[in-house]
Amino acid sequence: MIENLIIYFLIPFIKIGAIVLILSGAIAYLTLLERKLIAHIQVRLGPMRVGWHGLLQPIADGLKFVLKEDIVPSKADALIFTLAPMISLIPAFVVFSVVPFGPPGMFEGLLRGILSRFLESASVERIVSNPIASGGFVTDINIAVLFVLSVSSVGILGVILGGWASNSKYPLLGALRSSAQMVSYEVAMGFAIISVLLYAGSLSLVEIVQQQQAGGWWYFFIQPVAFFLLLVCGMAETNRLPFDLPEAETELVGGFHTEYSGFRFSLFFLAEYANMITVSALAVTLFWGGWLPPFPNVPWLGFLGIIPPVAWFLIKVFLILYLFIWVRGTLPRFRFDQLMNYGWKVFLPIALGHVILYAAILAI
Amino acid sequence: MSNTMNFLKRIFLVDILKGLAVTFRYTFKSVYTEQYPKEKPKLAERYKGAPRLNNDPETGETLCIACDLCAQICPEDLIVVGSQRDPESRKKVLTHYTFDTSRCLFCGLCQEVCPTNAIELTQDFELATYSRSSMLWDRERLEKGWDRIEFGKNYHK
Amino acid sequence: MNTLEESTVLDTKVLEMNMGPQHPSTHGVLRVKLKLDGEKVVDAECIIGYLHRGIEKISENRSYIECVPYYDRTDYIAAVANVYGFLLGVEKMMGIEVPERGRYIRIMMVEFNRIASHLLWLATHAIDIGAMTVFLYCFREREEILKLFEALFGARLTTHAFRVGGLWKDLPPGFEQAAHKFLDEFPARVDEYEQLLTHNRIWLARTKGIGVISGKEAIQWGLTGPPLRGSGVDYDLRKARPYGGYEEFEFDVPLGENGDTYDRYVARIEEMRQSRLIIQQVLKRLPGGPVRGKAPKIVKPPAGEYYSGTESPRGELGYYIVSDGSAQPFRVKIRPPTFIGLQALRRLVKGHLMADVIAIIGTLDIVLGEVDR
Repeated sequence: MIENLIIYFLIPFIKIGAIVLILSGAIAYLTLLERKLIAHIQVRLGPMRVGWHGLLQPIADGLKFVLKEDIVPSKADALIFTLAPMISLIPAFVVFSVVPFGPPGMFEGLLRGILSRFLESASVERIVSNPIASGGFVTDINIAVLFVLSVSSVGILGVILGGWASNSKYPLLGALRSSAQMVSYEVAMGFAIISVLLYAGSLSLVEIVQQQQAGGWWYFFIQPVAFFLLLVCGMAETNRLPFDLPEAETELVGGFHTEYSGFRFSLFFLAEYANMITVSALAVTLFWGGWLPPFPNVPWLGFLGIIPPVAWFLIKVFLILYLFIWVRGTLPRFRFDQLMNYGWKVFLPIALGHVILYAAILAI
Repeated sequence: MSNTMNFLKRIFLVDILKGLAVTFRYTFKSVYTEQYPKEKPKLAERYKGAPRLNNDPETGETLCIACDLCAQICPEDLIVVGSQRDPESRKKVLTHYTFDTSRCLFCGLCQEVCPTNAIELTQDFELATYSRSSMLWDRERLEKGWDRIEFGKNYHK
Repeated sequence: MNTLEESTVLDTKVLEMNMGPQHPSTHGVLRVKLKLDGEKVVDAECIIGYLHRGIEKISENRSYIECVPYYDRTDYIAAVANVYGFLLGVEKMMGIEVPERGRYIRIMMVEFNRIASHLLWLATHAIDIGAMTVFLYCFREREEILKLFEALFGARLTTHAFRVGGLWKDLPPGFEQAAHKFLDEFPARVDEYEQLLTHNRIWLARTKGIGVISGKEAIQWGLTGPPLRGSGVDYDLRKARPYGGYEEFEFDVPLGENGDTYDRYVARIEEMRQSRLIIQQVLKRLPGGPVRGKAPKIVKPPAGEYYSGTESPRGELGYYIVSDGSAQPFRVKIRPPTFIGLQALRRLVKGHLMADVIAIIGTLDIVLGEVDR
């Protein structure tokens, strides 16, 4: 009884709490990272005032958001207006419940050390041997990929509702754009992932990483095109330049969040950056071998194992985030119809062809 | 041949990679901007900033001979020169001098016409204040620098 | 069966939207009333006047010397070129000769101003289309030019650059070295912008075929400057009706072919390079001597009318000066190139998408200070 409580209740709660806290901090500092990086790309320094080289800037920004006046436009649909940022933010966090940060059995030693003080050894072993309790993830479900795709598309609803409930023309246009954009890129993204699934033969993210370990190759080396597709569609899904049409500030002022301010705006903001991290984490898990070091089975590269698996995961996520920011600092923005053209006429055919090709190869 | 090359260039996103290379090179270059309130910019000798009414460095008396040329040339008519004839020496003596910085164009015509270099536009550029009335500078401010009087600051000299 | 068809077709309405006067990319306080069908522009109406200061009227109440600083403030991006145009007219009316050195320095500074103005245009045009890094790179180069302005004129933006008869003061020490240094570095910098934009497929997609106007039509709309030359009409006042000594320098007038946003972009980029060549020629041949000729203390042109047309960075900038023989102009009519160019906006944006409106406003390179005066 008590073991089950610990396995299915206490440990997941602690993990969820840790993820929410760490993720919030990561998002806050991701904004700083972005500002700093873009600033250096643009031969300037970025935030410098709050703390050493602006290190406390995210905290100051967060405080500012919380303390700002909470404005709901008088003609807005107040209920939906309030609800929309939350609908946008919560799925962004929920997705992380299935993303593996580390290998199964990662917390074995730690758990054994703590639990053996309170419980008898038999039940300790029962807890420790449970993969969900000791793994470097909140849960491992066998439809994890589908779960990620479906939950993250709920977040789009928040954007659409927010733009609609503002009862203003610019947000409305932004919401229309985002609904079209996100729906169409979701399709290509799904197909890009399918080719990985064909190869791995599993929908569980943990399983996919383990397959890459067994194969000795990251899927990136096998399917670079699919990785590229996932990355591009991920940029479109998370409204990053060159696909940031829903909030194209030079066209639509602020896009769907034009009427939002203060804390509600910060929720949208958090959601966007959380989505960025989600897409990066997903790309890392599917293509860059999650927590694995490069070429896990090559013996003379074994020294790379001294870096803990979680650190590998974080390093890779950081690299992809860096790429996102770097691209943002370089490229102009697509026009709406061009974006749709690319989505349906370029990326979708490539993704489809890719899936068919790999299916054929695997069948042979 | 060139068609194939162009096609390959398009496929492998050469145009975009070139752009990315430019921005990547800049990421590690030294920055161009100044940290303004911490670092004061070095302004040119000729910069036309805050006005100043110069005194003769030896005697400490004003250089202004109250000829009124600056007030006449000023496009915005924002300079007011008050003068009085000294009954003994029959010379014009400056009684008051006001300069309305809120309307100033900083065109520099006043310092150009001044025969004695009494009115001068200096390199001070931080002219923001909390009230409109404090933008009207009287003779004391023009001679001593305005923020020393307003806030007790003395970072210019 | 007809009824079924009708009932399935939903009724759509045209969306009327105000873009500006507070909008990040209307370049100031332009207000465009857009009629949108979805995102497609059905109609657009420009509403101007939010920055009207009555500079033409102010000029009537100031002497010729006093009204010069106000022309800094019409087109504040190209203040030097604006003052230049007015002073050329006044000097012509009075028959004042500017010494050769003064003339040369004037041309040099106007060309520097042309580069600075085009840099600002490129910066804002790029950020309107989403390339925000080009924005800051352009501002960096513009800053170098503004530093030169500061050293010579004592101000950065509203410079009050020239006086009747020449310049206020000669070049400060170190000016020529600084100018040479800038000119040597500049082509590499322009290449960088081109690497980021010219061949970029997104930039091409956003500018090619957008806002197309034929040469004939551009003339009919009264477009001048790069928007006209982008359509392939070879009309540059510096060549067509040389003034101030431009005939002594060699330069090309870059022309476009298709008259779309991309061609106007290429024409302006090339113009920056040509301006650099002019400045290099000026620096090479810079004669000695005074920079200010003999000019009376009180400027009183003889009664009469004079039109001074110059090629400002934005197009033909005209000053129509009417003198009644007194020290104050009877009337100064400014022909602002972008005020006249802006009327073509409606023609250019029709049928395009909303995002293109931004690109087209950018490509016309409007300055609201000049449009509204």
